[in-house]
Amino acid sequence: MTTDSKSMHPGIHQLKRDLQNGALSRRAFLRYASLLGLSTGTAYALSGLPLPKNAWAASPQRGGVLKVACQIQKITHPAQFSWIMPSNILRQVAEYLTWFGADNITKPMLLSSWNASEDLKTWTLNLRQGVTWNNGDRFVADDVVFTFNQWLDKEVKSSMYGLIGGYLDPSGVEKVDDHTVRLHLKRPEIALPEHLFHYPAMVLHHKSFEGDFLRAPVGTGPYTLETYKEGEVAILKARKDYWQKGVDGKPLPYLDGMQFIDLGGDLAPQIAALKSGEVHMIDASDNPGPVVMKSVKSDAHIQVLPVTTGTTRVLRMRVDQKPFSDNRVRLALKLCQNREKILALAFEGEGMQGQDTHVYPSHPEYCQVATPAYDPSRAKQLLAEAGYPKGLAVDLAVASEWTDVVRYAEVLKQDALPAGIRINIKTMPTSQYWEKWTEVPLGITPWTHRPLGTMILNLAYIADEEGKPVSWNETRWVDPEFSELLVKANGTLDVEARRQIFCELEKIQQERGSIGIAYWMNSWMCASQKLKQITAHPNLYMLFNEAWLES
Amino acid sequence: MSDGEQATTADSAVDDIPPLKRDRRSVFTRLTEGLKFIWASKTATVGLFLVLFWVFVAIFAPLLTPYTPLEQDWKNPNIGPSKAHILGTDELGRDLWARLIYGARVVLVVMPVTDNLWIPGGTAIWGVIVALLVGTTLGLVSGYHGGWVDEITMRLLDAMMAVPIILLYMIIMAALGASAINVVLAMTIVGTPGIARLVRSLTLDIRTREYIRAAETRGESAWYIMFVEILPNARGPIIVDAMLRVGYAIFAMGTLGFLGLGIPPPSPDWGSMVAKGREFILSGSPWAALWPSLAIATLVVGLNLLADGIREESMRYQ
Repeated sequence: MTTDSKSMHPGIHQLKRDLQNGALSRRAFLRYASLLGLSTGTAYALSGLPLPKNAWAASPQRGGVLKVACQIQKITHPAQFSWIMPSNILRQVAEYLTWFGADNITKPMLLSSWNASEDLKTWTLNLRQGVTWNNGDRFVADDVVFTFNQWLDKEVKSSMYGLIGGYLDPSGVEKVDDHTVRLHLKRPEIALPEHLFHYPAMVLHHKSFEGDFLRAPVGTGPYTLETYKEGEVAILKARKDYWQKGVDGKPLPYLDGMQFIDLGGDLAPQIAALKSGEVHMIDASDNPGPVVMKSVKSDAHIQVLPVTTGTTRVLRMRVDQKPFSDNRVRLALKLCQNREKILALAFEGEGMQGQDTHVYPSHPEYCQVATPAYDPSRAKQLLAEAGYPKGLAVDLAVASEWTDVVRYAEVLKQDALPAGIRINIKTMPTSQYWEKWTEVPLGITPWTHRPLGTMILNLAYIADEEGKPVSWNETRWVDPEFSELLVKANGTLDVEARRQIFCELEKIQQERGSIGIAYWMNSWMCASQKLKQITAHPNLYMLFNEAWLES
Repeated sequence: MSDGEQATTADSAVDDIPPLKRDRRSVFTRLTEGLKFIWASKTATVGLFLVLFWVFVAIFAPLLTPYTPLEQDWKNPNIGPSKAHILGTDELGRDLWARLIYGARVVLVVMPVTDNLWIPGGTAIWGVIVALLVGTTLGLVSGYHGGWVDEITMRLLDAMMAVPIILLYMIIMAALGASAINVVLAMTIVGTPGIARLVRSLTLDIRTREYIRAAETRGESAWYIMFVEILPNARGPIIVDAMLRVGYAIFAMGTLGFLGLGIPPPSPDWGSMVAKGREFILSGSPWAALWPSLAIATLVVGLNLLADGIREESMRYQ
């Protein structure tokens, strides 16, 4: 990575000034400086914070097979993943260009560094050298170009398209040499490095990949995929020639292998397996909740690692249909959320209250806004103004397997009655909800953690170039002023200026947006005490290259 | 659930049933005779008490608790039995006793068609009644008519019986969506083939009797013969079967609720109460799952004991 001040992105000097005059927290400085291509070490040095050393207590032992309770789902194309669980298996086999941990700071992985032009429209990705695929091929720029083209291929239908398709065309991906790729963006975008760690963004081998990863499981990761039986088991074996080295100077990983065992979606047998030592941990990434934590926290053999996240449940109202086309109706329903009660009952108080805007307090650009109070009488008045003096009845779609969502719905139903909103809860199996999550007029959709506010807002609350709502814009809410401000925010480097824009964005979303957000969920990684050197990721990604097992 | 096989074992009971005579005794005498009949069997008596308990609490639910089943005491979720809440509270702080007895109402006494429209007759009862109507009609028609009508009807019903019951329930509910009416519809679709088979076999037997010949000679219509001559004389096994079916229906409601396909929340549906409470067993609050499980078990066992007892008694009389 570039460390001399001449080749530094000019924005970094501005960030440094902000840091010195107190406009920027050290943590936010780290995040933005590393996004702009400054190495983490240098960024920490400039920020004045000590570089966090992973203060692992004991020296690692080699050997052992890590066993994880995890649903083994049907998979084909990694870019089509819509669940984190399969990515947790394949992320041990294939890798990403970048990564971020619990600190939300993006660091290079298959890249060795990156640089952005001053206008944030040209990004140079420098690929890590000396990385080999598990079939012996060298990792080169062709692989990266191929992978970008997969994401940007409309036929592939990857959620990566929604994330980066707005600012990057296939023609904008240029191979400079074997180890350099340059991206020419259509508009400035600061979150690019973070987009590269979206869970479907695994780098694919350009020679062997033909749409089904299981047919040619070629990756650069520390393990090879030996067996993948849907609904049963996935068996991974450690590579001997992985590029990362352990503290003993030999290649990682410390483990001999990993086994992902499907014990079904029910938590009870998984918890029992964890307690009995049959598995070392539970992959709860797609079913985060306090149940596992509460069941094992008193068990001395199990470690509970907590993390705050931006994972949430979004009460989403389609604005292209009656009655939610009227903002007064939307506002009325939002006012019926008794947030303290919802958080206490739906998620056992293990999180933060939300404010009807899809930006959470740990997002760097978060601007503090007031939490709206529960006010059924004002809601009633708004409904009367909107032409519903006798109140109205609405259907609320929820998937019955997400038990906290159902509880949220039940509390909301009860608390909306005084306002005259009669909610009819329509439960359905999760698979059925995902079939129509963008179609139902009113529903509660789970949204996972993303490290930047802009990432989510660009994914769900804007229109594409043709003016149609983007594919994950489930509410069809497009607000010209909001979109304009968001484009400005995407290209604004100065954090204070960015936060100012976000103050307005959040206010607009609160006042005339299409969503209610009542709570942000904490998350926990629960694993056997024998499993060492693991940290909890806000998405519960299993970043386990350095994990080892005590014999 | 193998209700099909169980139900057809009652076939032999029709043999010596005499043609229906008009019963001129008073309702009271008939009731006490009925009770004596049940009293004679210990099994039936135990069953009757269990069933009557639930019918009683269901009917008088509003008088038996100061709470409504939907009231959320949100500062006290998931607590054990206490003075304020005799069976404890569920995950939203709702009183479990209130939910349990209002849940019994939904099963046995009233059916929520919409939020505001409730009709008398519990959901399980309606499920059985509608299945009986459809199944009996199909069984009578194919049994009495015979020939290709019989062939086609029975083959179609056989095909339906080949599908595992839980799977059939899930397919129907997933297609129709979760509501009380759809639960009744699903129970009808699932229950019809068994009832139709039973009624058909009874009809095949009865239609060879002389009083049917006599009615035919009188020139009565086929519908008259089926519903006035045959049906009343097949009533014994059908009643026993229906009793068992109410048990199955309650079980089916529980299963559907447990799978999240039953009557939608926040209705105090026993099955969904178990499903939701189950999440908290491991963290030390088993109450929300325990009570509705016990309720389903006692009511279903009660109905089965009652039906078994009646069947045994009627066999003994013969």
